[in-house]
Amino acid sequence: MAREKIYLEEVFPSPFMQLWGIFRKTPVAMAGFCCFIFLILLAIFAPIISPYSPVDGNLEMILLPPAWHPDGDVSYLLGTDELGRDMLSRLMYGTSLTFGLSFIVVIFSLVIGVVIGSLSALTRGIKSSFLNHFLDVVLSIPSLLLAIIIVAILGPGISNTVWAIAIVFIPQFIHITRYAVKEEFRKDYVLASRLDGASNFRILYYSVFPNIVERLMSQATLAQSAAILDIATLGFLGLGAQIPLPEWGAILANGLERFYIAPWTVYLPGLAILFAVVATNLVGEGIRHALKLRKEN
Amino acid sequence: MLTFTLRRISLFIFTMLVLTLLSFSLSFLFPGDTVINHSGQINATASELVQLNKAYQMDKSIVDQYGAYLTHILNGDFGQSMASQSPIRNEIIELLPATIELSLVALLIAMVVGIPLGFIAAINHNKASDNVILSLAMLGYSIPVFWLGLLAILVFSIGLGWLPSAGQISLLFEIKFVTGIQFIDILLSDSPYKWQAFSNASAHIILPACVIALAPATIFIRLSRAAMIEVLAASYIRAARAKGLSFQQIIFRHAIRNALIKIIRHVGLQFANLVTIAMVTEVIFSWPGIGRWLIESIYQRDYTAIQSGLLVLSCFIFIIHILTDFIYAALNPLARGNQHGS
Repeated sequence: MAREKIYLEEVFPSPFMQLWGIFRKTPVAMAGFCCFIFLILLAIFAPIISPYSPVDGNLEMILLPPAWHPDGDVSYLLGTDELGRDMLSRLMYGTSLTFGLSFIVVIFSLVIGVVIGSLSALTRGIKSSFLNHFLDVVLSIPSLLLAIIIVAILGPGISNTVWAIAIVFIPQFIHITRYAVKEEFRKDYVLASRLDGASNFRILYYSVFPNIVERLMSQATLAQSAAILDIATLGFLGLGAQIPLPEWGAILANGLERFYIAPWTVYLPGLAILFAVVATNLVGEGIRHALKLRKEN
Repeated sequence: MLTFTLRRISLFIFTMLVLTLLSFSLSFLFPGDTVINHSGQINATASELVQLNKAYQMDKSIVDQYGAYLTHILNGDFGQSMASQSPIRNEIIELLPATIELSLVALLIAMVVGIPLGFIAAINHNKASDNVILSLAMLGYSIPVFWLGLLAILVFSIGLGWLPSAGQISLLFEIKFVTGIQFIDILLSDSPYKWQAFSNASAHIILPACVIALAPATIFIRLSRAAMIEVLAASYIRAARAKGLSFQQIIFRHAIRNALIKIIRHVGLQFANLVTIAMVTEVIFSWPGIGRWLIESIYQRDYTAIQSGLLVLSCFIFIIHILTDFIYAALNPLARGNQHGS
């Protein structure tokens, strides 16, 4: 009788899957991740599921308090504002403006920053030193201040805000990619593939990127929480989204005059911003925590 | 230390050059005529325009133009505000001290609150109090500052009536402008109501300073927690414990000092963040500082004011940055070496 020998193939999960394995076991991080997914879905499907239009008001239902209030109406769950616009619908549309745009902005700056950063990591000498100092200067200017200046050049408006914030976030991605790539290039496995005759770009693509992708993601979550706050702050200052766009910061600024009689028009958008930023930060914390644990094992 | 100083100075000069280059190029990027954006004289007559063109060397090459612009800046001539037609230099001298005062008080609050909390979290690492402090820090970091400012006004000024909600000091007090930093001016003045004025000014600064301090304080919590955990894991702490020192002695004599040094290094970077938060808070609390002035000049499309404001604010941030670097190097001999070699 033939005796079959079965050798089980040992499977080593990729670094990314290892990270996901650890990430999945942290309940707080998973809760944040679910909220994050929920916000992304909301940002995409807001026009389909929102009960009312975000800009057309119902003048018979002005300043209606939220439904749990004795004067509230259940068909306007979170109340209405001074023009009778449904707060719930406005907040839902606001998700795609504040949260959705911040997500797109971060992806955009991430891609550009990674390309420039990894190219600059391969250069040495005076060019590299100049870039280093230049980045130090740009990074020492606060992101919001720089965004305000760019908006001042381009003029107020939501699309200009998005461009401004995208430009502002590029340097930090260049910086982190540069450092991460330089650090990886000193390691032995890169030397090994270089001895095999791999070109710089091949090493970058096949060896280095898979090992730094989590660090970039962790930086991206940091950038996104800052981007949400920046978009909302510019909207609040009247430099970002213009009336009647339902951007969270702009809704808040809009409710300011009726702070006393209709406090929900101020605290609801604030809570929405807080929720989005906390969810993003929880995901980021989860990634950093998982990175730390993976390093220790 | 000498090499360190030279390095810092060269970095400082380089940064100033880049910043002036940035504000110089803003004049070209902003709508309107470049020389008017430089000088802010929107109502200039034809002969004045000729003079301005000459002063800023607009007919020569771009390098000469930049040189002329730099000379103006170095002489303290930032041009005129397009909105008020008064020299920007005077406005900045009046407004910048108020921002410096507010942001330094906020930095102090952030450090005094944040650093001990971080230490407590690190000493109780992985226990309940650590988690509570970390969660609070995360929440504090995520709150949008304008919302927090509004809630603070609603609760403490309107609801409870404890603190005033706007301005730097009650208008009843006449304080002569000397340094612009309100507290020093009050102490220098010979008004009989000096102490009333002082307490009034303190009441005005508490609310905005606390609002600004919240986010940096949470960052200080994280920084000091990380620094303390690192220090407590070091061998010299183990050696101290082996010598038989009590826990208090270890913490107060060895750990805190070494952890503080690591934190000081990050103060400069955090300060930039703090100044941005201060700009928004100034708008909410009507604080007569440079942040509010800058945002108002954007509403008014006052391009000359915007570029000078940017230059002055980022200069201020960078000077604080360099100063903290020096303090760090003075306290920590290890840092004076070749740490920025790339």
